[in-house]
Amino acid sequence: MTVDALTATLEPVEPAFLNALRLRAALFWGPLLIGSLLLDRLVLADTPVAGLAPVVVGLFGLGAILIAPRRVYRRLGYAIDARLLRIVRGWLFHADTIVPLIRVQHIDVTAGPVDKLFGIATLVVHTAGTHNSIVTLPGLSPARAADIREAIRSEIRPDTE
Amino acid sequence: MSEAAITADSQALGPPERLHPLFLLTGLGKSLRGAWGMVAVGAVLATQGRWWLVVVLAVGFVIVSIGGLLLKWLKLEYRVGAHELRIDSGLLSRTSRAIPFDRVTDIDLEQGPLHRLFGLARVRLETGASAGAKNEDGVLDTISLDRAEALRDHIRARHGQPVAAPVDARDAPPPLFAMDKRRVVTAGLFNFSLAVLAGLFGISQTVGDLIGFDPFRRSFWRAALDRFEPLQTLVQAHQFIAVIGGTLVLVAIGVGTGIVRTVLREHGFRLDRSDTGLRRRRGLLTLTDVSIPARRVQAAILVSGPIRRTFDWCQLKLQSLAKDGAKGDHVVAPLAHPGEAAVILASLGWRAGPAAERWRPVSKAYVISFAAMMAPTLIVALGAIAVFGPIVLLWVAAAALAVAVRWFGWRHTRFALADGSLFIDTGWWRQRRAIVPTARIQSIDLTESFWTRAFGVCALRLGVAGGSGFAAHHIPALTRAEAEDLRALLVDAS
Repeated sequence: MTVDALTATLEPVEPAFLNALRLRAALFWGPLLIGSLLLDRLVLADTPVAGLAPVVVGLFGLGAILIAPRRVYRRLGYAIDARLLRIVRGWLFHADTIVPLIRVQHIDVTAGPVDKLFGIATLVVHTAGTHNSIVTLPGLSPARAADIREAIRSEIRPDTE
Repeated sequence: MSEAAITADSQALGPPERLHPLFLLTGLGKSLRGAWGMVAVGAVLATQGRWWLVVVLAVGFVIVSIGGLLLKWLKLEYRVGAHELRIDSGLLSRTSRAIPFDRVTDIDLEQGPLHRLFGLARVRLETGASAGAKNEDGVLDTISLDRAEALRDHIRARHGQPVAAPVDARDAPPPLFAMDKRRVVTAGLFNFSLAVLAGLFGISQTVGDLIGFDPFRRSFWRAALDRFEPLQTLVQAHQFIAVIGGTLVLVAIGVGTGIVRTVLREHGFRLDRSDTGLRRRRGLLTLTDVSIPARRVQAAILVSGPIRRTFDWCQLKLQSLAKDGAKGDHVVAPLAHPGEAAVILASLGWRAGPAAERWRPVSKAYVISFAAMMAPTLIVALGAIAVFGPIVLLWVAAAALAVAVRWFGWRHTRFALADGSLFIDTGWWRQRRAIVPTARIQSIDLTESFWTRAFGVCALRLGVAGGSGFAAHHIPALTRAEAEDLRALLVDAS
C-alpha cells in the first residue's frame, strides 16, 4: 500500500462550503425566529414567559450561524485510496466512515440550489448495507466530485459470487 | 450473455399459463379480510335483527368480489422462459413484469388450509428489490403444487445447481434440524409476550364490565366459583385473592396464546441442507416452504433470554437479502441447543463462536460514561429531598439500578475477530450474538458523540445488507486506538 486512506492526512473540502453551511443555517433559523416572534406577540404576550421564546431561538440561531459552521467545516475531511473511501464528519456527533470501493453500488453527484450558489457539489455513495446505505460527502468542487466518481466507478465490478 | 442471446431467450418464453381456477375461492378470504369494514356493518345490522339487509350485503359482496377475482384471473397470464418469468396482469393498466431468474434470491411456497385441501400453492419469488418495500414482487397466487415445484426446480436449474432430488419420505437425507411436538410447545412457552398480557389487562379493565369478563373483580369469581363453596367465601372475604386469581388467569391466557401461535407457525419444523443453501418447512394450517440460498446470507444472530439460557436453549436467525414474510430475519431454529445451532452454522461453513481466548472486552467507559450522565440528576434529586420528601429516593434507587444493569451489560459485552468473522456478544438480560463474516461488511463507521468523546471511546458500527435496519451490528465502547486497529484489520480482511 502506497497511499493508505486510514493513515493519510484528510483532505479538506472547498472553503465555499463554509458559506453554504452559514446560508443554510440562516435559511433554517430565520423563519423559526420570525415564527417565535409572532408566537410571542400574539399568544404569549401576557404570560410570564413573554419574550423568552425569541431570545432562546435567537441565541440558538446565532450559534448555528456563527459558531457551528466553522467547527463542522474544520472536522469535515475525506481520503481516498485504491481500496477505500474514508469520510470523517461531525462536530457534536462525530462519525468516521469507511466504505470499501468494491462495496459501492452506485454513486450520485448532486447539487442543490444553495450548493449551486457557492459552486459546490455533494457526492452520494450508495452501499448495500441497511445501516449506512447512503454515505454523503458534501462541499466538493464539482470537478473533484466527478473525479472521485470516476475513480470509484472504475472499481465497481460485478459481484464475483 | 450477448444481446442476441437475450432476444432469443425472450422469444423462447413458454406458452402463456393462467393461475389455477380455484383462485376464485382462495382469493375470497383475502378480499374478505380487506373488507372488514363491511363485515362490521353486517355484524351491527345482524344485532339489530335486520337479517334481510345482511343477506343482501353478503350476496352483493360475494358477487362483486368473485367478479373482481374473475376479471383478475382472466387478465393474469404468466410465461416461464429459459431465463426469466414474465407476468402480464391488469385490466385497464396492463403491467408486464419480467423477473430474471439470475436475480431471484428465494423461492417460497406457501399453502394455506384451502390450498392444501386442493393441492395448490402460492409461489413468491424474492428478488433483491423486494427486500425493502412490501410490494408483491413476483407472486403467483394459487397454482397447482406440481406446477409450483416444477417451477422451482426449473429456477434452481437456471442457477446452475442440480435439481433437488424428489423428496421422498423414506430415502430423503435426515434433516439438519427438526423440532418434534414437545419442542414446539416448549418454544411456545417462551413465546409468552408481555405485550399481549398488557393488552389483555387493558381490555379487561376498560371493557371487562361490558363483556362480563373482569377477573380482577370479586363478582367474577363469585359467579365462576358458584359451585365451590369454601373458595367462594374466601374470595368474598379478601379482595387480594381476586387480584391473584385475575393475574393467574391473565398469565394463563398469555402463555396459551403464545403456545397456540407458536404451534400454528412452527408445527413440523424441518430444516434441510439443499445444494444451494437451506430449506425450511413449517406450519400447521398454513404450510410454508422457504429456500434460503447460502450465498445470500449476510449475518447470523443467536438470541437467548434469561430463562432459555438456564435450560440451554437459544434461537438462531439468519440475516439475508430477502425478507422472511413481514419480518426481517429468517428464523432457522426457533428453539435449539447451542450444539444444534452450531451444526446449522457449520453446514454453511460458519463457526458459532471463536476460541475462548480470542474474546476481547469493551472499555469500562461503557459503564462510567453512563454513570456520569446519571450523576447530575442524582445531585438535583438529593437537593430536591428537602422539597418533595423521601419519594425522591425512589429516583435514586432507579438510577442505581440502571447503572447496575449497565454494568451487567458491560460484563456480557465482548467481541472477537476470528476465522474470517466478527463475533459480537451483547446484552445481559437478552443475550445476543451477531456473527458477521468480514466479506459481508459493506461499510464501517466509528461514531462518537461529545459525551463519549469526553471518555475517549467510540462505537464501531457495521453496515450489513438486509435485516430490519433498526439495530445495526455494533460494538458499543472501544477506545479510539483499539477501534482504529480493529477497523484496519476488518478492512484488510474484507
